[in-house]
Amino acid sequence: MSDKRGSGGGGRKPTDETTCEEALALVYEYLDGELEPERTDIVRRHLAQCRCCYPHFDFERMFLDYVRDVGGTPRSSPELRDRIRRILERESG
Amino acid sequence: MPDTPDSRLPEFEREALPHLDALLGLALRFTGGDEARSEDLVQEAFLKAWRSWKSFEAGTNCRAWLMTILRNTFINQFRRGRSRGSDVEFDEIAERATDDDLFHADPEGLVLDRIVGEEIARAIEELPDEFRVPVVLADIEGLGYQEIAETLEIPVGTVKSRLFRARRRLQGRLYRHAVEMGYLG
Repeated sequence: MSDKRGSGGGGRKPTDETTCEEALALVYEYLDGELEPERTDIVRRHLAQCRCCYPHFDFERMFLDYVRDVGGTPRSSPELRDRIRRILERESG
Repeated sequence: MPDTPDSRLPEFEREALPHLDALLGLALRFTGGDEARSEDLVQEAFLKAWRSWKSFEAGTNCRAWLMTILRNTFINQFRRGRSRGSDVEFDEIAERATDDDLFHADPEGLVLDRIVGEEIARAIEELPDEFRVPVVLADIEGLGYQEIAETLEIPVGTVKSRLFRARRRLQGRLYRHAVEMGYLG
């Protein structure tokens, strides 16, 4: 099976065990560390041989880092703080 | 001195209230930027925390404890509201159209450097609930797939596909933003 997204990259051909399409379908499970050991090895072997998927995985890793960096950016709200204080005081009174 | 609620309130305020900003930040992610709903969530979480303050062990991580209470409060509401249906089917069409444009347009990820965190945050906020909540749990809260599945009461396979599609959607959104801003040719 060839990769239908292939566009002129030499590494787009299927490698021994898995196609680019199959490897890319596992990209997030791989990067999230959620892939079982055997499949992790399969993806690793593919990445070692595929000149196209390696940069793509690298890109996805970078993308996830940006998403994680956003985090739950703290937001200040003095009004909410006062409101919660009042409610807590009422509750404990 | 008897351990009355009154006597413990200053301690609770001292330990818990400094985390209010962080909790509000997380609540805003969960609700997709809905300020009123986020403030209500934080308020409810603080009330629950205060009522079970006795069970909090001094010396353990208060912030993590409060975050868990907030998450559980949100998830309970989320589960209750889920029966109203979602636009998941429509999304499949939308993300197939965007696919991995961002990678093909900018394999080095240079554009990602120029896109400010706020824009990524907005893109997360704009995801439909069914996609945003797994992303927040995975990428912001750091939960594993199994934990997300149990939290949301959905199969692990659904967690995988939601995360995959959500992240592709985010890239599609950021790609369109990059084009609008002239970051991409």
